[in-house]
Amino acid sequence: MTTIQRVWRLKNTLLNLLASRCSVCGHVTYPPKMRCPVCGSRELREESLPREGEVLSYTIIRVPAKGFEDFTPLIIALIKLGDAKVLAEVVDVKPEEVSVGMRVVATVRRTAQTIDGGVPYVIKFKPLRS
Amino acid sequence: MAGVGMVNVGKHVDKSLRDLAGQAALKAMEEAGNEVPEALVVGNMLSSLVEQENLASLIGDHIGLRGACGLKVEGACGSGGLALMTGYSLVASGLFNKVLVVGVEKLFERPSADVIRGLAYAADADYELIYGVTFSGLNALLMRYYMSKYGVRYEELAYWSVLMHKNGSRNPYAQLRNEITLDDVMKSPVIADPIRLYDSCPLSDGAAAVFLVGEDVKKLTDTPVTVAGVSNSIDSTDLSSRLELDYLLASSTSARNSLKMAKVDLREVGVAEIHDAYTITAALSIESIGFAERGKAPKAWSEGRFSPGDKPSINLSGGLKSRGHPVGATGVYQVAEVVMQLRGDFPGISVPAEVGLTQNIGGAGSNVTTVVLRR
Repeated sequence: MTTIQRVWRLKNTLLNLLASRCSVCGHVTYPPKMRCPVCGSRELREESLPREGEVLSYTIIRVPAKGFEDFTPLIIALIKLGDAKVLAEVVDVKPEEVSVGMRVVATVRRTAQTIDGGVPYVIKFKPLRS
Repeated sequence: MAGVGMVNVGKHVDKSLRDLAGQAALKAMEEAGNEVPEALVVGNMLSSLVEQENLASLIGDHIGLRGACGLKVEGACGSGGLALMTGYSLVASGLFNKVLVVGVEKLFERPSADVIRGLAYAADADYELIYGVTFSGLNALLMRYYMSKYGVRYEELAYWSVLMHKNGSRNPYAQLRNEITLDDVMKSPVIADPIRLYDSCPLSDGAAAVFLVGEDVKKLTDTPVTVAGVSNSIDSTDLSSRLELDYLLASSTSARNSLKMAKVDLREVGVAEIHDAYTITAALSIESIGFAERGKAPKAWSEGRFSPGDKPSINLSGGLKSRGHPVGATGVYQVAEVVMQLRGDFPGISVPAEVGLTQNIGGAGSNVTTVVLRR
């Protein structure tokens, strides 16, 4: 369970999928860091990741974290977006229909209430239907 | 190492955090000829569950160490290994000659939902927990990625649990001493697909201690075991920014550095205790240390590799899966168990060995300590 402050503080990064790209070696990392994890450079540029990507791995959580009972079964995936990866929830799909390699697109959705009663909206991913 | 002490891992409703830690600490002190330590290093992750911090003072006072130096070390599930390394460095630096390292965890105080939430604090609160992912969920992501990349079947990974219960059934300190079948694992409930209950370690209370002495250790014990090498490495807490999802950089780095410090070749290791919080963690740890090629650990253990008597024999204690995983104490249990193996007095399955290794992993591979021990 998170707090209103945290969601407010992170809104820009979370909703715009802001990663950091290293100006020296080109490595892209999400979440953004203060120094490049590969070459150590501090010359990093903010960059929005693409909103479409591919599921690298996923899990279906049956025993939820406290506060997420209403979102169970919860599908969480690692998603490749351009040159980076993002961990997020996958929605609008039955658990048995998720697969590695599935194409997904970002969407803004409500998530579990914060400890202090806020109703945060975050990026989730839904299947990309052609 | 002049002495070790452990309490049985399990559900200790009748014992507090200080009772558990004190019991293990006094046992280690007794083994060391009732010497009094000059410093106490405590490893712990989640004492906030019992609304208690300032652990070194609490435990130190309980066992009569007022006036000694005391501190707590935290590195999620890797806190115990880190505490050992901290204790070692206090002795190696010459600051103290006698240091007691105690790992302790008390989980059975709160409803399991609170404990599960607490364990997830090892992950990234801003970028992972905000989505409701659990610690099992994060490991499930690694497991599916591994299975998908290497074409490893669920059953091959699950067989690890069967092997661990077999080893642990002989360990009097173990929490789950029943033998299980592959069928039992495959019929256990799904926690975070593909991870089932029996792929996972249990929740545990427990405490373990080791007594480190610099000079004159031979005056205190006839069977001293030496810390030949110790090293810790970190990696990202979040999985998103990991460079590789099927390899634990911190496991590999800390293993390599501790072996180098010990001037030991991996092939000399006779016994090892590794961190199998989930079956996938066992595979990743075994491969990242270098005991098996990448993607090959499940095949190796299915063919009898790492079983009692093999070199190395891995997790004769039953590992986290069967001995249990009292989070911040686990790294100290591993060291105490390997010390007993090298001394030849481990009360469960015991094999003769000169060199042992322990690896304690915090988070999903984000804080790893490897210790090389020599008789």
